[in-house]
Amino acid sequence: MGLTARSNILIPGTLSVLTVSNEICSLRGMAVLEAIALAKFYGSVPAVREVTFRLEPGQVLGYLGPNGSGKSTTVKVLTGLLQPTHGQVLFEGQDIQNDLVSYRKRLGYVPEEANLYPFLTGEEYLEMIGTLRGMSHARMKSKISSLLELFALFPHRHVSLGSYSKGMRQRILLIAALMDNPDVLILDEPLSGLDVTSVLIIKNLIQAFSARGKAVFYCSHILEVVEKVCSQLLILRQGQVMAYGSTEDVRRQIGRSSLEHIFLQLVEDKDVAQVASEIVDVVVSPS
Amino acid sequence: MNSWKQLLAARWLIFSQRPSILLLRLFAGRMFKGGGELGADELDLGLGVVFIFLAMPGVLVSLLMFEKYGSLIRFLRGDGTFDPYIATIPDEYFFIVLSMSVSCAVALWRWNSIFPDRRDYANFVHLPISLTRIFFANLFAVFALTALLTVVVNVASFVLFPVAVLGSQPSFSKLFRFAFGHAVSVSLSSVFSFLAIFALSGLLLACLPSRIYRKVSVYVRFVVALGLLAVLATSFTVSSILSGGSKLTYLRLGGFPSAWFLGLAETLWGNGNDVFFALLARRAMISLGLALLISVIAYSLSFRRSFARIPDLADVGPLPRSRRLRLPAILLDATILRDAKLRACYHFVSRTLLRSDAHLQIVLAFAALGLVVAAQTVNATYHPGFSFTAQPPSMALLSIPYILSYCLLLGIRLAFEVPLDLPANWIFKLWIEPDGDLPRQVARRVLLTFPLGWLVPLCFLYSAILWGWLTALLQTALLIACSAVFVEVLLVKFRKIPFTCSYPPFESNSPLYIVAYLVGFVLFATYIPRIVQWSIVTRWGIAFFLPLVLLSLIGTRQFRKQMLDMDKELIFEEDSASGF
Repeated sequence: MGLTARSNILIPGTLSVLTVSNEICSLRGMAVLEAIALAKFYGSVPAVREVTFRLEPGQVLGYLGPNGSGKSTTVKVLTGLLQPTHGQVLFEGQDIQNDLVSYRKRLGYVPEEANLYPFLTGEEYLEMIGTLRGMSHARMKSKISSLLELFALFPHRHVSLGSYSKGMRQRILLIAALMDNPDVLILDEPLSGLDVTSVLIIKNLIQAFSARGKAVFYCSHILEVVEKVCSQLLILRQGQVMAYGSTEDVRRQIGRSSLEHIFLQLVEDKDVAQVASEIVDVVVSPS
Repeated sequence: MNSWKQLLAARWLIFSQRPSILLLRLFAGRMFKGGGELGADELDLGLGVVFIFLAMPGVLVSLLMFEKYGSLIRFLRGDGTFDPYIATIPDEYFFIVLSMSVSCAVALWRWNSIFPDRRDYANFVHLPISLTRIFFANLFAVFALTALLTVVVNVASFVLFPVAVLGSQPSFSKLFRFAFGHAVSVSLSSVFSFLAIFALSGLLLACLPSRIYRKVSVYVRFVVALGLLAVLATSFTVSSILSGGSKLTYLRLGGFPSAWFLGLAETLWGNGNDVFFALLARRAMISLGLALLISVIAYSLSFRRSFARIPDLADVGPLPRSRRLRLPAILLDATILRDAKLRACYHFVSRTLLRSDAHLQIVLAFAALGLVVAAQTVNATYHPGFSFTAQPPSMALLSIPYILSYCLLLGIRLAFEVPLDLPANWIFKLWIEPDGDLPRQVARRVLLTFPLGWLVPLCFLYSAILWGWLTALLQTALLIACSAVFVEVLLVKFRKIPFTCSYPPFESNSPLYIVAYLVGFVLFATYIPRIVQWSIVTRWGIAFFLPLVLLSLIGTRQFRKQMLDMDKELIFEEDSASGF
């Protein structure tokens, strides 16, 4: 039945790996999405090494790490856009590479950058996505209209995407990911460029979505949102897993109350307050 | 010596780091490389390659002049007295047309990058730099670009043409005088054409709202390109008229800007006493002055109205797209686009072709080329007493739809190679199976429906009106069959969703492709109409021709079949000889 439920925590500096049993992560059923010893090398440069996790229905996994830690590479491997050098991604126990089309039919994906074709209108773009996903015309039309209305984009549906603001493009991507009722939602920095109201909606949406038994893989830099919406946590550093387990468990093991402190302890070597102070010194110095 | 060098280097460094000079360099760089429209990935050929392309026509034509004006050739032709200033009129005219055409083409190509845009505004206006400084930096960058372009386009003919004409003559003063007159006239014609386009663009930008400007400018460029090609195509005819030497025929040419600069050359060569040349030279100088004046005024107005008001315009959203007639789309969806993925990709490709300036420009340029060649073909056979309804139909008239079809198909196929916002490809990477035949199916349908959708009914209609139903049926059937074969040839190695792949690399066999397409054009525009004509006369000719079409289709299918599977897989990055 796959992996043993465990939380792994590597404390930087000590080079010791803490492995603790994890009650919350215990197997209640088949994981909907599972990564086993994933590794991805670009030439000889490792981007991701030995990443293992599992995502069950109703769980939200927060995937954290500084820039260049391998988050986006993992996301691309999970969506099948990149093939792993080693390891496997399983969807309901099956390697996704065996039938990528069926897997993607049940996947919703919001990429890190809102790259959209500028000459299509919002509605045309969503229709293209719906058609590529094989949705029926009537269902697609109805979903698009309702979601455009709910995301406050209905008045702009006939405007070219090239004229959309960053937040509007991000909302279009969210609609595109949600419109076919996916079982797994992979979100790579979904809140980028969104206004406060939209952020609050998305936070609640993720929770409501997971409450309906959907699995969410949530990749972000915004720790407070991760802390609020994620039941599971995986912290990555230089392509390696530094901590993995339930949010509470990780917090307890590190002995820190806030996620910000946990993140800094596991990932950053620098004293951020010291760096900030040095920056100000340079800025205000006369020379 | 070293200290002088160091001093000069230090001075140059200080000079080049001045804000105005930095801005000027930056704007000049943008005009050559950056700018462009939203979403279009600019083709970065490198400055050297661009210069070579621009100089090449001048080099080639100049080299041909050595053969024409060689003293041995002239001796063999029995040319006795040789007056270079009269004998070279047709060639001088052609050099002027060439110089104007190349400069004009560059101005049309860089149309969107000549004026400062939102990116410039966002980067510089918040800095302690006045708007006046930005205004002058960009204006001087335009002038610098004009000067550089003029030199690059004409540098070969500055030297080679006078040497070819007068290199064997003993008089240096004559050579210098000829070279001076030629250099001034071709340079000023180049400057005039570039500034004229700059002025036109500035006036449109100053007069039209920005959201309308972008749309209108595509069609304005199409019309200018059409005119440009017409002038280029008629240059040999005009040359022969000029060679005739009749003042009456000269007068007919007085309205051509290219003729004005020929008058200038003749005046500088000492034929200023000729009233006609003096008149043309005066027109050249006045028009040049006017082009300069209007371009500066238009630039000032557009800068004030468009660039300085960017913050005011920022919140004015673009107009929503009007809901166009849905019937053709519904018909297509129900017939040839029944597969969902095919439908999605087809609509993506067709919308991009119609809405992206960069892609539309390519298609329109080829359409303009087709129109000019078709007009030239008809013009070449036209004579008093020419009958449009004569039986059997004239080959020139029969060839029109084939020329247009060939040019449009080639233009659209070329436009497929120009990438659009490559990072947005992820959606196709997610949803399109790499080993399917979808890319070719999409490309085939776009290629067949876009030009043939209107060309076929038009061809049938005009053929029926001119030559009757039977001929119309035959002509239309062969047009469809030949276009289908050509589409298959164009797509034989195609394996990408149009616009979603990086540019193909320049391969050593690329010139061969160009030669092949030229041969294909001759075949399409000359031999096929001949077969059509033959079929109309003999009636049974069609029985010979259709199996040939079928064989060609089977041939391309067989070629595709024997290709390795890996050479048919969908790609998003060009790394080998594949494609065009």
